[in-house]
Amino acid sequence: MDDLILIGPELAVLITGLAVLLLDLWAPPSQRKTIGYAAAAVLGVVFLGTFAFLLPEPRMAFGGMLVLDELALFFKRFFLLAAGLVLILAVEFSDRLKAGESEYFALILFALAGMMFAASANDFSILFVALELVTIAFYVLASFQRHRTRSLEAGVKYLILGALASGFLVYGIALVFGLSGTMNFTRLAQAPEAVLSSPLFELGLLLVFVGLGFKIAAVPFHIWAADVYEGAPAPTTAFLAVGSKAAGMVLLLRVLHGAVPALVDRAQPVLMVVAALTILYGVLCAIPQQNLKRLLGYSSIASAGYLLVGVAALNAAGLSAVLYYLAGYLFTVLAAFLVIALAFPNVDSEEIGALAGLHERAPLLAAALALALVSLAGVPPLAGFFGKFLLLKAALAAAGGTPGLYWLLGVAIVGVVISLAYYFGVIRTMYWEPHPPTSPSSPSSPSPPCLAVPTPMRVALWLCIAGMLWLGVMPGSILNLTDLAVQSLAPAVPVP
Amino acid sequence: MAVHNHEYLFLAIFLGAALAFCVTPLALARLWAAWVSPAKPGVEKQASYECGVAARGDAWVQFRSEYYLYGIVFLVFDVEAIFLLPFAVAFMGLSVGAVLAMAIFLLLLVEGWVWAWRKGILTWQ
Repeated sequence: MDDLILIGPELAVLITGLAVLLLDLWAPPSQRKTIGYAAAAVLGVVFLGTFAFLLPEPRMAFGGMLVLDELALFFKRFFLLAAGLVLILAVEFSDRLKAGESEYFALILFALAGMMFAASANDFSILFVALELVTIAFYVLASFQRHRTRSLEAGVKYLILGALASGFLVYGIALVFGLSGTMNFTRLAQAPEAVLSSPLFELGLLLVFVGLGFKIAAVPFHIWAADVYEGAPAPTTAFLAVGSKAAGMVLLLRVLHGAVPALVDRAQPVLMVVAALTILYGVLCAIPQQNLKRLLGYSSIASAGYLLVGVAALNAAGLSAVLYYLAGYLFTVLAAFLVIALAFPNVDSEEIGALAGLHERAPLLAAALALALVSLAGVPPLAGFFGKFLLLKAALAAAGGTPGLYWLLGVAIVGVVISLAYYFGVIRTMYWEPHPPTSPSSPSSPSPPCLAVPTPMRVALWLCIAGMLWLGVMPGSILNLTDLAVQSLAPAVPVP
Repeated sequence: MAVHNHEYLFLAIFLGAALAFCVTPLALARLWAAWVSPAKPGVEKQASYECGVAARGDAWVQFRSEYYLYGIVFLVFDVEAIFLLPFAVAFMGLSVGAVLAMAIFLLLLVEGWVWAWRKGILTWQ
């Protein structure tokens, strides 16, 4: 019974998902939006409910397969918040799906359940099952607009590359299990030195890293990212960018610091190289992009690189900064995608040029997107700035012992500078380029139609804006939480 | 050379033995065919089945995509049956928790089936 209480939030989410499926069968089509909003409200209640967990020390469930500590709770709240906002976005977007609106909501909820299990994973079998639950839901979510070839293309690409990554992951897990005889992270951490120093064991962990690198879209496992981000429906892309990446990140942290803390030092060079490549690839490829979703896809690759900088720093400050960066990233990216869903109502593509003059048609949308892009670029006092600042500071603090980190820092700073160019390019289009005439035949159309912002979307937008500003202006409050989470994960990690 | 120093050597030996086991009879059969029974293909000999009903048409026919929905729904019952059989055999010795878990599992499958039914998937169009 205790076990069931510990996975209470996950169970609540799963039951909500099943209920959404069933309710849809008897509810009239006009009530579908209500179902979506109700599901979002339930997620809000579950989010508040997670604060009822008081954890003086980590608690295990199901024979040590799941762990509930501050890190798991932090990520569960993160996922719940993200999924709630994505659901509001999905309800707004549901008119464009043409079929299966309720199933879309239900799949978001199932993916959310997978992410929440991932946050608690303390065993490779749970890691795999949770990750597959997320990924399989996303295969369907990405190709949900069946009438659009691009959406189908995104789904197929994600399916093929995702299956490949899963193959690597399983092979890695098999090697780790074959050499150590256990899949449990706690027991792996006590594995004898002979096992840990075996090259096959390291190969196994490397293959696991391939599988997780696919989820967080790190170079060289990023090939899917841009196409899937561009083709998938906006709510899917938003959830993919925020939820899926964070799920991969928390599993990476759990494996590194929970399962093989003795090997972390040997993983550092790999992490540093991957981080540097990911940052450079993301920012350089984002420069020529004309499609806003594709641009955000490359920007999310770059973000994965920045997150890996914090992981590669191998100190508590770095891990804390990773969690902080993710929290800021949630509000920032969701704000951007809320705007994308509203600002491109009927257009099949999300060309940046179509945003011209947005500040006249919808000042709130323009302001929100501008804030989001400024935050992504890393300009104070927004959340993105402090995220990058803390990541680089942590890496600098650790660089005394490993000179390679200086190079990584240099790459990261170059990346920030380059990224300013393309983020501000979008802002310039929104504010300083005139709106193109609606049709070539009537160039004298007096004023372009104003974009309506429905109330739930308005609330969600303001929530994201408030989150970005709150995290940026008062980082202390959330840093307390992230420090707690890091301590529960890795008490042994040095605090500078 | 000390064999026991190479703990994976037996794998290589096994690999060689396995290959020889497969390839030798094939090679012998090929030799036998070349010397003793040269190939004389004919209509009867080329038929897919030498006895039974003659094959008609091509195997590469298009299935209607609805068929896959039936396939998936069938899978629901298939999985259900696979788990129900051992459940029924062990029923008397099970705890309340196990029966409850099984009931939840069945309900989950039933939900999938009800969903498919209400969505009209079982009606052939």
